[in-house]
Amino acid sequence: MIILATNEPFIFALFEYSFLRYALITGIIMGFITPLIGSFVVIRRLSFIADTLSHFSLAGLSIGLFLINIIGMTFISDPLYLAMIFSVIGALFIEILRGYYQNYKEISMPIVMSLGTALSALFISLSGGFNSSIYNYLFGSILTVGNDYLLLMSVTGIVLILLIVVFYKEMVIISFDEQYAKLLGIKIGRFQFVSTLILGVVVSLSIATVGVLLVSSLMIIPVAAAMKVGKSFKNTVGIAIFFSEISVIGGLWLSYELDIASGATIVLINILILVLVGLFKKFFISKRLKKTQSEITI
Amino acid sequence: MRVTVTNLTFGYDYRTVLKDISFKLNSGDFLAVVGNNGSGKSTLIKCILGINKIPPKRIFLDDVDITEYKNFRNIGYVPQKFDDFNYEFPITVNEILQVSRYNKITEDEKLELLDKIGILELQNENINELSGGELQRVFIVRSLMNNPKLLILDEPTAGVDKENVEGFYKTVNELNKEGITIMLITHNINESKANFTHLLSIHNGEANLKEVKRGDED
Repeated sequence: MIILATNEPFIFALFEYSFLRYALITGIIMGFITPLIGSFVVIRRLSFIADTLSHFSLAGLSIGLFLINIIGMTFISDPLYLAMIFSVIGALFIEILRGYYQNYKEISMPIVMSLGTALSALFISLSGGFNSSIYNYLFGSILTVGNDYLLLMSVTGIVLILLIVVFYKEMVIISFDEQYAKLLGIKIGRFQFVSTLILGVVVSLSIATVGVLLVSSLMIIPVAAAMKVGKSFKNTVGIAIFFSEISVIGGLWLSYELDIASGATIVLINILILVLVGLFKKFFISKRLKKTQSEITI
Repeated sequence: MRVTVTNLTFGYDYRTVLKDISFKLNSGDFLAVVGNNGSGKSTLIKCILGINKIPPKRIFLDDVDITEYKNFRNIGYVPQKFDDFNYEFPITVNEILQVSRYNKITEDEKLELLDKIGILELQNENINELSGGELQRVFIVRSLMNNPKLLILDEPTAGVDKENVEGFYKTVNELNKEGITIMLITHNINESKANFTHLLSIHNGEANLKEVKRGDED
Protein backbone atom coordinates (compact mmCIF):
# COMPACT_ATOMS: atom_id res chain seq x y z
CA MET A 1 0.00 0.00 0.00
CA ILE A 2 1.14 3.53 -0.65
CA ILE A 3 1.27 5.89 2.24
CA LEU A 4 2.08 9.38 1.08
CA ALA A 5 1.87 12.65 2.93
CA THR A 6 0.29 14.43 0.01
CA ASN A 7 -2.87 13.75 -1.94
CA GLU A 8 -1.61 14.96 -5.29
CA PRO A 9 -2.66 13.12 -8.44
CA PHE A 10 -0.57 10.17 -9.70
CA ILE A 11 0.85 12.09 -12.66
CA PHE A 12 2.25 14.89 -10.45
CA ALA A 13 3.47 12.44 -7.82
CA LEU A 14 5.50 10.75 -10.56
CA PHE A 15 7.58 13.91 -10.96
CA GLU A 16 8.05 14.28 -7.24
CA TYR A 17 8.83 10.75 -6.05
CA SER A 18 11.65 8.77 -7.62
CA PHE A 19 10.34 5.46 -6.19
CA LEU A 20 7.12 5.95 -8.14
CA ARG A 21 9.10 6.56 -11.33
CA TYR A 22 11.17 3.41 -10.68
CA ALA A 23 7.96 1.48 -10.07
CA LEU A 24 6.39 2.74 -13.29
CA ILE A 25 9.45 2.09 -15.48
CA THR A 26 9.96 -1.35 -13.91
CA GLY A 27 6.28 -2.08 -14.43
CA ILE A 28 6.41 -1.06 -18.08
CA ILE A 29 9.46 -3.27 -18.74
CA MET A 30 7.86 -6.14 -16.86
CA GLY A 31 4.57 -5.57 -18.68
CA PHE A 32 6.47 -6.04 -21.93
CA ILE A 33 8.67 -9.03 -21.18
CA THR A 34 6.33 -11.23 -19.13
CA PRO A 35 3.67 -11.76 -21.84
CA LEU A 36 6.44 -11.99 -24.45
CA ILE A 37 7.99 -15.01 -22.74
CA GLY A 38 4.54 -16.07 -21.49
CA SER A 39 3.34 -16.58 -25.08
CA PHE A 40 5.99 -19.25 -25.66
CA VAL A 41 5.16 -20.79 -22.29
CA VAL A 42 1.45 -21.01 -23.19
CA ILE A 43 2.13 -22.53 -26.62
CA ARG A 44 4.33 -25.19 -25.04
CA ARG A 45 1.45 -25.92 -22.64
CA LEU A 46 3.62 -25.04 -19.66
CA SER A 47 1.30 -22.44 -18.13
CA PHE A 48 1.83 -23.98 -14.72
CA ILE A 49 5.60 -23.46 -14.94
CA ALA A 50 5.59 -19.85 -13.73
CA ASP A 51 3.72 -20.86 -10.59
CA THR A 52 6.08 -23.76 -10.03
CA LEU A 53 9.15 -21.59 -10.45
CA SER A 54 7.81 -18.84 -8.24
CA HIS A 55 7.19 -21.39 -5.47
CA PHE A 56 10.68 -22.75 -5.97
CA SER A 57 12.01 -19.18 -5.82
CA LEU A 58 10.26 -18.77 -2.49
CA ALA A 59 12.54 -21.53 -1.19
CA GLY A 60 15.50 -19.39 -2.26
CA LEU A 61 13.99 -16.35 -0.58
CA SER A 62 13.35 -18.25 2.65
CA ILE A 63 16.85 -19.71 2.68
CA GLY A 64 18.19 -16.21 1.94
CA LEU A 65 16.26 -14.71 4.85
CA PHE A 66 17.43 -17.56 7.09
CA LEU A 67 21.09 -17.02 6.11
CA ILE A 68 20.88 -13.25 6.53
CA ASN A 69 18.75 -12.98 9.66
CA ILE A 70 19.65 -16.13 11.62
CA ILE A 71 23.14 -17.12 10.46
CA GLY A 72 24.20 -13.50 9.97
CA MET A 73 25.51 -13.80 6.41
CA THR A 74 24.82 -10.14 5.72
CA PHE A 75 26.95 -10.11 2.57
CA ILE A 76 23.89 -11.57 0.85
CA SER A 77 22.42 -8.10 0.58
CA ASP A 78 19.11 -9.17 -0.93
CA PRO A 79 17.50 -12.63 -0.73
CA LEU A 80 16.07 -11.97 -4.19
CA TYR A 81 19.43 -12.99 -5.68
CA LEU A 82 19.07 -16.42 -4.07
CA ALA A 83 15.49 -16.55 -5.36
CA MET A 84 16.85 -15.95 -8.85
CA ILE A 85 19.36 -18.79 -8.51
CA PHE A 86 16.66 -21.11 -7.14
CA SER A 87 14.29 -20.18 -9.93
CA VAL A 88 16.90 -21.15 -12.52
CA ILE A 89 17.69 -24.39 -10.64
CA GLY A 90 13.95 -25.15 -10.48
CA ALA A 91 13.63 -24.52 -14.21
CA LEU A 92 16.47 -26.92 -14.93
CA PHE A 93 14.92 -29.55 -12.64
CA ILE A 94 11.69 -29.25 -14.63
CA GLU A 95 13.51 -29.74 -17.94
CA ILE A 96 15.37 -32.79 -16.57
CA LEU A 97 12.14 -34.33 -15.24
CA ARG A 98 10.28 -33.55 -18.49
CA GLY A 99 12.95 -35.53 -20.32
CA TYR A 100 12.68 -38.38 -17.81
CA TYR A 101 8.86 -38.64 -17.92
CA GLN A 102 8.46 -38.33 -21.69
CA ASN A 103 4.77 -39.26 -21.74
CA TYR A 104 3.80 -37.55 -18.48
CA LYS A 105 5.77 -34.32 -18.78
CA GLU A 106 3.42 -32.34 -16.53
CA ILE A 107 4.46 -34.53 -13.58
CA SER A 108 7.67 -32.51 -13.40
CA MET A 109 5.87 -29.41 -12.13
CA PRO A 110 4.09 -30.71 -9.01
CA ILE A 111 7.33 -32.47 -8.02
CA VAL A 112 9.40 -29.27 -8.26
CA MET A 113 6.62 -27.19 -6.71
CA SER A 114 6.30 -29.57 -3.74
CA LEU A 115 10.04 -29.46 -3.15
CA GLY A 116 10.02 -25.64 -3.31
CA THR A 117 7.04 -25.31 -0.99
CA ALA A 118 8.47 -27.79 1.53
CA LEU A 119 11.84 -26.01 1.60
CA SER A 120 10.07 -22.66 1.97
CA ALA A 121 7.98 -23.85 4.91
CA LEU A 122 11.05 -25.36 6.56
CA PHE A 123 13.25 -22.26 6.28
CA ILE A 124 10.43 -19.81 7.11
CA SER A 125 9.93 -21.71 10.38
CA LEU A 126 13.70 -21.80 11.00
CA SER A 127 13.80 -18.03 10.41
CA GLY A 128 11.29 -17.42 13.17
CA GLY A 129 8.05 -17.81 11.27
CA PHE A 130 5.94 -15.55 9.10
CA ASN A 131 6.98 -11.88 9.00
CA SER A 132 6.51 -8.76 6.87
CA SER A 133 9.43 -9.61 4.51
CA ILE A 134 7.80 -12.91 3.64
CA TYR A 135 4.45 -11.15 3.18
CA ASN A 136 6.08 -8.72 0.71
CA TYR A 137 7.54 -11.58 -1.29
CA LEU A 138 4.25 -13.48 -1.31
CA PHE A 139 2.19 -10.56 -2.61
CA GLY A 140 4.85 -8.26 -4.05
CA SER A 141 5.60 -4.61 -3.64
CA ILE A 142 6.54 -2.86 -6.85
CA LEU A 143 6.94 0.46 -5.03
CA THR A 144 9.94 -0.81 -3.08
CA VAL A 145 12.04 -1.67 -6.15
CA GLY A 146 15.27 0.27 -6.48
CA ASN A 147 17.79 1.29 -9.10
CA ASP A 148 19.72 -2.01 -9.09
CA TYR A 149 16.52 -3.98 -9.58
CA LEU A 150 15.51 -1.75 -12.47
CA LEU A 151 18.91 -2.36 -14.05
CA LEU A 152 18.56 -6.15 -13.64
CA MET A 153 15.09 -6.03 -15.18
CA SER A 154 16.33 -3.93 -18.11
CA VAL A 155 19.28 -6.25 -18.83
CA THR A 156 16.99 -9.31 -18.66
CA GLY A 157 14.53 -7.59 -20.99
CA ILE A 158 17.23 -6.72 -23.52
CA VAL A 159 18.66 -10.26 -23.46
CA LEU A 160 15.19 -11.73 -23.95
CA ILE A 161 14.31 -9.41 -26.84
CA LEU A 162 17.68 -10.08 -28.53
CA LEU A 163 17.18 -13.82 -28.18
CA ILE A 164 13.71 -13.64 -29.70
CA VAL A 165 14.82 -11.38 -32.56
CA VAL A 166 17.85 -13.52 -33.45
CA PHE A 167 16.25 -16.94 -32.91
CA TYR A 168 12.63 -16.09 -33.74
CA LYS A 169 12.18 -18.94 -36.25
CA GLU A 170 13.71 -21.56 -33.99
CA MET A 171 11.77 -20.46 -30.90
CA VAL A 172 8.45 -20.43 -32.73
CA ILE A 173 8.87 -23.78 -34.44
CA ILE A 174 10.14 -25.46 -31.24
CA SER A 175 7.16 -24.10 -29.32
CA PHE A 176 4.58 -25.10 -31.92
CA ASP A 177 6.04 -28.38 -33.14
CA GLU A 178 9.01 -29.84 -31.29
CA GLN A 179 9.09 -32.96 -33.46
CA TYR A 180 9.31 -30.98 -36.70
CA ALA A 181 11.93 -28.68 -35.19
CA LYS A 182 14.08 -31.78 -34.56
CA LEU A 183 13.66 -32.74 -38.19
CA LEU A 184 14.84 -29.30 -39.25
CA GLY A 185 18.03 -29.99 -37.33
CA ILE A 186 17.39 -27.41 -34.59
CA LYS A 187 19.30 -28.12 -31.38
CA ILE A 188 16.19 -28.26 -29.21
CA GLY A 189 17.96 -29.04 -25.94
CA ARG A 190 20.18 -25.98 -26.28
CA PHE A 191 17.23 -23.67 -26.98
CA GLN A 192 15.14 -25.10 -24.18
CA PHE A 193 18.03 -24.70 -21.76
CA VAL A 194 18.50 -21.01 -22.62
CA SER A 195 14.79 -20.17 -22.67
CA THR A 196 14.26 -21.98 -19.37
CA LEU A 197 17.15 -20.03 -17.88
CA ILE A 198 15.63 -16.72 -18.98
CA LEU A 199 12.20 -17.83 -17.80
CA GLY A 200 13.64 -18.57 -14.36
CA VAL A 201 15.20 -15.11 -14.17
CA VAL A 202 12.01 -13.35 -15.34
CA VAL A 203 9.89 -15.25 -12.80
CA SER A 204 12.20 -14.44 -9.90
CA LEU A 205 12.37 -10.78 -10.90
CA SER A 206 8.59 -10.59 -11.15
CA ILE A 207 8.33 -11.77 -7.54
CA ALA A 208 9.42 -8.35 -6.30
CA THR A 209 6.56 -6.70 -8.13
CA VAL A 210 3.54 -8.98 -7.83
CA GLY A 211 4.80 -11.64 -5.46
CA VAL A 212 5.21 -15.40 -5.52
CA LEU A 213 1.48 -16.10 -5.51
CA LEU A 214 0.65 -13.81 -8.43
CA VAL A 215 3.64 -14.16 -10.78
CA SER A 216 2.02 -16.59 -13.19
CA SER A 217 -0.91 -14.24 -13.74
CA LEU A 218 1.41 -11.66 -15.34
CA MET A 219 2.73 -14.21 -17.78
CA ILE A 220 -0.38 -16.15 -18.59
CA ILE A 221 -3.54 -14.00 -18.25
CA PRO A 222 -2.70 -11.32 -20.88
CA VAL A 223 -1.79 -14.13 -23.30
CA ALA A 224 -4.99 -16.02 -22.49
CA ALA A 225 -7.01 -12.86 -23.27
CA ALA A 226 -5.05 -12.10 -26.45
CA MET A 227 -5.54 -15.66 -27.75
CA LYS A 228 -9.27 -14.96 -27.88
CA VAL A 229 -8.93 -12.10 -30.34
CA GLY A 230 -5.49 -12.56 -31.99
CA LYS A 231 -5.42 -13.24 -35.72
CA SER A 232 -1.80 -14.30 -36.05
CA PHE A 233 1.11 -15.20 -33.79
CA LYS A 234 2.76 -11.77 -33.89
CA ASN A 235 -0.60 -10.02 -33.56
CA THR A 236 -1.53 -12.14 -30.53
CA VAL A 237 1.78 -11.46 -28.78
CA GLY A 238 1.37 -7.73 -29.52
CA ILE A 239 -2.15 -7.70 -28.07
CA ALA A 240 -0.94 -9.62 -24.98
CA ILE A 241 1.75 -6.97 -24.39
CA PHE A 242 -0.84 -4.22 -24.86
CA PHE A 243 -3.21 -5.82 -22.30
CA SER A 244 -0.31 -6.36 -19.93
CA GLU A 245 0.80 -2.71 -20.14
CA ILE A 246 -2.77 -1.51 -19.50
CA SER A 247 -2.93 -3.67 -16.37
CA VAL A 248 0.48 -2.56 -15.07
CA ILE A 249 0.01 1.17 -15.67
CA GLY A 250 -3.67 1.10 -14.67
CA GLY A 251 -2.86 -1.03 -11.63
CA LEU A 252 -0.15 1.33 -10.43
CA TRP A 253 -2.36 4.36 -10.93
CA LEU A 254 -5.34 2.80 -9.14
CA SER A 255 -3.24 1.47 -6.27
CA TYR A 256 -1.81 4.98 -5.77
CA GLU A 257 -5.17 6.73 -5.98
CA LEU A 258 -7.07 4.24 -3.80
CA ASP A 259 -4.15 3.34 -1.51
CA ILE A 260 -4.44 -0.40 -2.14
CA ALA A 261 -1.93 -3.22 -2.87
CA SER A 262 -0.28 -2.68 -6.27
CA GLY A 263 0.44 -6.32 -7.19
CA ALA A 264 -3.11 -7.42 -6.48
CA THR A 265 -4.54 -4.43 -8.41
CA ILE A 266 -2.41 -5.25 -11.48
CA VAL A 267 -3.56 -8.86 -11.43
CA LEU A 268 -7.23 -7.94 -10.91
CA ILE A 269 -7.11 -5.58 -13.91
CA ASN A 270 -5.61 -8.44 -15.92
CA ILE A 271 -8.53 -10.66 -14.91
CA LEU A 272 -11.01 -7.89 -15.74
CA ILE A 273 -9.49 -7.55 -19.24
CA LEU A 274 -9.75 -11.32 -19.70
CA VAL A 275 -13.44 -11.29 -18.74
CA LEU A 276 -14.21 -8.26 -20.96
CA VAL A 277 -12.41 -9.84 -23.93
CA GLY A 278 -14.33 -13.08 -23.37
CA LEU A 279 -17.65 -11.19 -23.31
CA PHE A 280 -16.66 -9.12 -26.35
CA LYS A 281 -15.82 -12.28 -28.25
CA LYS A 282 -19.01 -14.05 -27.18
CA PHE A 283 -21.46 -11.25 -27.91
CA PHE A 284 -19.81 -9.11 -30.58
CA ILE A 285 -17.66 -11.37 -32.75
CA SER A 286 -20.02 -14.38 -32.54
CA LYS A 287 -23.01 -12.18 -33.47
CA ARG A 288 -21.12 -10.75 -36.46
CA LEU A 289 -20.17 -14.27 -37.53
CA LYS A 290 -23.80 -15.45 -37.29
CA LYS A 291 -24.90 -12.43 -39.33
CA THR A 292 -22.32 -13.19 -42.01
CA GLN A 293 -23.37 -16.84 -42.10
CA SER A 294 -27.06 -15.92 -42.46
CA GLU A 295 -26.16 -13.51 -45.28
CA ILE A 296 -24.31 -16.33 -47.05
CA THR A 297 -27.32 -18.64 -46.61
CA ILE A 298 -29.67 -16.02 -48.05
CA MET B 1 17.77 -39.19 -52.50
CA ARG B 2 18.89 -42.79 -52.25
CA VAL B 3 17.49 -44.72 -49.29
CA THR B 4 19.05 -48.03 -48.27
CA VAL B 5 17.64 -50.08 -45.41
CA THR B 6 19.74 -53.12 -44.43
CA ASN B 7 18.59 -55.83 -42.01
CA LEU B 8 16.72 -53.34 -39.84
CA THR B 9 15.21 -54.81 -36.70
CA PHE B 10 13.56 -52.44 -34.24
CA GLY B 11 11.25 -52.69 -31.26
CA TYR B 12 9.89 -50.93 -28.21
CA ASP B 13 10.74 -52.42 -24.82
CA TYR B 14 10.29 -56.19 -25.30
CA ARG B 15 8.18 -56.04 -28.46
CA THR B 16 9.86 -56.36 -31.86
CA VAL B 17 8.02 -54.20 -34.40
CA LEU B 18 10.28 -54.40 -37.46
CA LYS B 19 11.97 -57.70 -38.28
CA ASP B 20 15.06 -57.76 -40.48
CA ILE B 21 13.80 -55.32 -43.10
CA SER B 22 15.89 -54.59 -46.19
CA PHE B 23 15.11 -52.52 -49.29
CA LYS B 24 16.73 -49.96 -51.53
CA LEU B 25 15.34 -46.88 -53.28
CA ASN B 26 17.09 -44.79 -55.89
CA SER B 27 16.62 -41.06 -56.48
CA GLY B 28 13.25 -40.44 -58.09
CA ASP B 29 11.70 -43.71 -56.94
CA PHE B 30 8.18 -43.67 -55.55
CA LEU B 31 7.52 -46.17 -52.79
CA ALA B 32 4.11 -47.04 -51.44
CA VAL B 33 4.20 -48.59 -47.96
CA VAL B 34 1.13 -50.64 -47.14
CA GLY B 35 0.10 -52.70 -44.15
CA ASN B 36 -2.51 -53.04 -41.44
CA ASN B 37 -2.66 -50.88 -38.34
CA GLY B 38 0.21 -51.73 -36.02
CA SER B 39 2.16 -53.51 -38.75
CA GLY B 40 5.16 -51.21 -38.26
CA LYS B 41 4.71 -48.66 -41.09
CA SER B 42 4.98 -45.57 -38.89
CA THR B 43 7.82 -47.13 -36.88
CA LEU B 44 9.79 -47.58 -40.10
CA ILE B 45 9.19 -43.94 -41.01
CA LYS B 46 10.33 -42.78 -37.58
CA CYS B 47 13.56 -44.76 -38.06
CA ILE B 48 14.19 -43.07 -41.41
CA LEU B 49 13.44 -39.65 -39.90
CA GLY B 50 15.98 -40.26 -37.13
CA ILE B 51 13.25 -40.05 -34.45
CA ASN B 52 13.70 -43.70 -33.46
CA LYS B 53 17.31 -44.33 -32.53
CA ILE B 54 18.74 -47.35 -34.33
CA PRO B 55 22.20 -48.99 -34.36
CA PRO B 56 24.68 -47.95 -37.09
CA LYS B 57 24.83 -49.47 -40.58
CA ARG B 58 21.08 -50.13 -40.79
CA ILE B 59 19.81 -47.12 -42.77
CA PHE B 60 21.76 -45.03 -45.28
CA LEU B 61 20.57 -41.77 -46.85
CA ASP B 62 22.56 -40.95 -49.97
CA ASP B 63 25.08 -43.54 -48.73
CA VAL B 64 25.55 -41.73 -45.40
CA ASP B 65 24.81 -43.81 -42.30
CA ILE B 66 21.71 -42.29 -40.66
CA THR B 67 23.46 -42.29 -37.28
CA GLU B 68 25.90 -39.77 -38.78
CA TYR B 69 23.43 -37.99 -41.07
CA LYS B 70 23.11 -34.29 -40.31
CA ASN B 71 20.95 -32.71 -42.98
CA PHE B 72 17.44 -33.88 -42.18
CA ARG B 73 16.16 -30.68 -43.82
CA ASN B 74 16.52 -32.69 -47.06
CA ILE B 75 13.55 -34.73 -45.88
CA GLY B 76 10.03 -33.37 -46.10
CA TYR B 77 7.55 -35.04 -43.77
CA VAL B 78 3.79 -34.89 -43.45
CA PRO B 79 2.60 -36.70 -40.31
CA GLN B 80 -0.58 -38.73 -40.15
CA LYS B 81 -1.90 -36.76 -37.19
CA PHE B 82 -1.15 -33.24 -36.09
CA ASP B 83 -1.13 -34.02 -32.38
CA ASP B 84 2.42 -32.73 -32.09
CA PHE B 85 1.41 -29.32 -33.42
CA ASN B 86 -0.10 -26.84 -30.94
CA TYR B 87 -2.57 -25.39 -33.39
CA GLU B 88 -4.92 -23.83 -30.87
CA PHE B 89 -2.69 -20.77 -30.43
CA PRO B 90 -3.26 -18.23 -33.23
CA ILE B 91 -0.72 -18.48 -36.04
CA THR B 92 -1.25 -17.90 -39.75
CA VAL B 93 -0.37 -20.28 -42.56
CA ASN B 94 2.26 -17.79 -43.73
CA GLU B 95 3.85 -17.58 -40.29
CA ILE B 96 4.15 -21.38 -40.08
CA LEU B 97 5.76 -21.50 -43.49
CA GLN B 98 8.16 -18.66 -42.65
CA VAL B 99 9.50 -20.38 -39.54
CA SER B 100 9.80 -23.70 -41.39
CA ARG B 101 11.79 -22.24 -44.29
CA TYR B 102 15.53 -22.57 -43.79
CA ASN B 103 17.10 -22.60 -47.20
CA LYS B 104 16.72 -22.62 -50.93
CA ILE B 105 13.09 -21.74 -51.56
CA THR B 106 12.23 -18.15 -52.58
CA GLU B 107 9.10 -16.16 -51.74
CA ASP B 108 7.80 -16.63 -55.31
CA GLU B 109 8.41 -20.36 -55.12
CA LYS B 110 6.52 -20.46 -51.82
CA LEU B 111 3.51 -18.72 -53.41
CA GLU B 112 3.73 -21.09 -56.35
CA LEU B 113 3.63 -24.07 -53.96
CA LEU B 114 0.64 -22.64 -52.11
CA ASP B 115 -1.11 -22.23 -55.43
CA LYS B 116 -0.17 -25.71 -56.60
CA ILE B 117 -1.54 -27.31 -53.43
CA GLY B 118 -4.63 -25.09 -53.64
CA ILE B 119 -4.31 -22.99 -50.51
CA LEU B 120 -2.99 -19.70 -51.87
CA GLU B 121 -6.05 -17.85 -50.58
CA LEU B 122 -5.52 -19.30 -47.10
CA GLN B 123 -2.02 -17.91 -46.56
CA ASN B 124 -3.13 -15.20 -44.12
CA GLU B 125 -5.69 -17.36 -42.34
CA ASN B 126 -5.32 -18.37 -38.71
CA ILE B 127 -4.74 -22.12 -38.78
CA ASN B 128 -7.11 -22.89 -35.94
CA GLU B 129 -9.92 -21.76 -38.23
CA LEU B 130 -9.02 -24.24 -41.00
CA SER B 131 -10.73 -27.56 -41.70
CA GLY B 132 -8.85 -30.85 -41.31
CA GLY B 133 -8.32 -31.13 -45.07
CA GLU B 134 -7.02 -27.56 -45.33
CA LEU B 135 -4.69 -28.14 -42.41
CA GLN B 136 -3.39 -31.28 -44.11
CA ARG B 137 -2.52 -29.26 -47.20
CA VAL B 138 -0.76 -26.61 -45.10
CA PHE B 139 1.49 -29.33 -43.72
CA ILE B 140 2.11 -30.69 -47.19
CA VAL B 141 3.31 -27.23 -48.29
CA ARG B 142 5.41 -26.99 -45.13
CA SER B 143 7.09 -30.30 -45.96
CA LEU B 144 8.15 -28.83 -49.31
CA MET B 145 9.56 -25.57 -47.92
CA ASN B 146 13.19 -26.69 -47.96
CA ASN B 147 13.20 -28.33 -51.40
CA PRO B 148 13.32 -31.88 -50.02
CA LYS B 149 15.12 -34.68 -51.82
CA LEU B 150 12.98 -37.23 -49.97
CA LEU B 151 9.32 -36.70 -49.19
CA ILE B 152 7.64 -38.91 -46.60
CA LEU B 153 3.86 -38.81 -46.47
CA ASP B 154 2.15 -40.70 -43.66
CA GLU B 155 -1.44 -41.33 -44.84
CA PRO B 156 -1.65 -37.76 -46.11
CA THR B 157 -5.14 -37.96 -47.55
CA ALA B 158 -6.94 -39.24 -44.47
CA GLY B 159 -9.85 -36.87 -43.89
CA VAL B 160 -9.35 -35.03 -47.20
CA ASP B 161 -12.31 -34.90 -49.61
CA LYS B 162 -12.18 -36.83 -52.88
CA GLU B 163 -11.68 -33.81 -55.11
CA ASN B 164 -8.67 -32.65 -53.12
CA VAL B 165 -7.26 -36.19 -52.95
CA GLU B 166 -7.03 -36.29 -56.74
CA GLY B 167 -5.39 -32.87 -56.85
CA PHE B 168 -3.00 -33.92 -54.15
CA TYR B 169 -1.80 -37.04 -55.98
CA LYS B 170 -1.42 -35.04 -59.17
CA THR B 171 0.94 -32.71 -57.28
CA VAL B 172 2.81 -35.61 -55.67
CA ASN B 173 3.29 -37.23 -59.07
CA GLU B 174 4.64 -33.94 -60.44
CA LEU B 175 7.07 -33.62 -57.53
CA ASN B 176 8.22 -37.19 -58.16
CA LYS B 177 8.78 -36.35 -61.84
CA GLU B 178 11.07 -33.53 -60.69
CA GLY B 179 13.29 -36.19 -59.10
CA ILE B 180 12.12 -36.22 -55.47
CA THR B 181 12.13 -39.67 -53.91
CA ILE B 182 8.76 -40.29 -52.31
CA MET B 183 7.63 -42.68 -49.60
CA LEU B 184 3.89 -42.78 -49.19
CA ILE B 185 2.24 -44.69 -46.39
CA THR B 186 -1.26 -45.58 -47.37
CA HIS B 187 -4.06 -47.70 -46.09
CA ASN B 188 -5.83 -47.99 -49.36
CA ILE B 189 -3.53 -48.35 -52.32
CA ASN B 190 -6.40 -48.52 -54.77
CA GLU B 191 -7.73 -45.12 -53.72
CA SER B 192 -4.58 -43.26 -54.64
CA LYS B 193 -3.69 -42.17 -58.13
CA ALA B 194 0.00 -42.12 -57.33
CA ASN B 195 2.52 -43.44 -59.81
CA PHE B 196 4.36 -45.88 -57.58
CA THR B 197 7.53 -47.55 -58.73
CA HIS B 198 7.82 -49.82 -55.68
CA LEU B 199 5.45 -51.36 -53.20
CA LEU B 200 6.55 -52.35 -49.70
CA SER B 201 4.06 -54.54 -47.86
CA ILE B 202 4.60 -54.81 -44.13
CA HIS B 203 2.89 -57.60 -42.26
CA ASN B 204 3.64 -58.30 -38.60
CA GLY B 205 6.91 -56.40 -38.91
CA GLU B 206 8.13 -58.36 -41.93
CA ALA B 207 8.44 -56.52 -45.21
CA ASN B 208 8.23 -57.56 -48.80
CA LEU B 209 9.35 -55.18 -51.57
CA LYS B 210 8.28 -55.49 -55.14
CA GLU B 211 8.76 -53.32 -58.15
CA VAL B 212 5.55 -52.18 -59.79
CA LYS B 213 4.75 -50.78 -63.18
CA ARG B 214 4.51 -46.99 -63.13
CA GLY B 215 0.86 -45.93 -63.26
CA ASP B 216 -0.82 -43.90 -65.92
CA GLU B 217 0.82 -40.52 -66.30
CA ASP B 218 -1.47 -37.51 -65.98
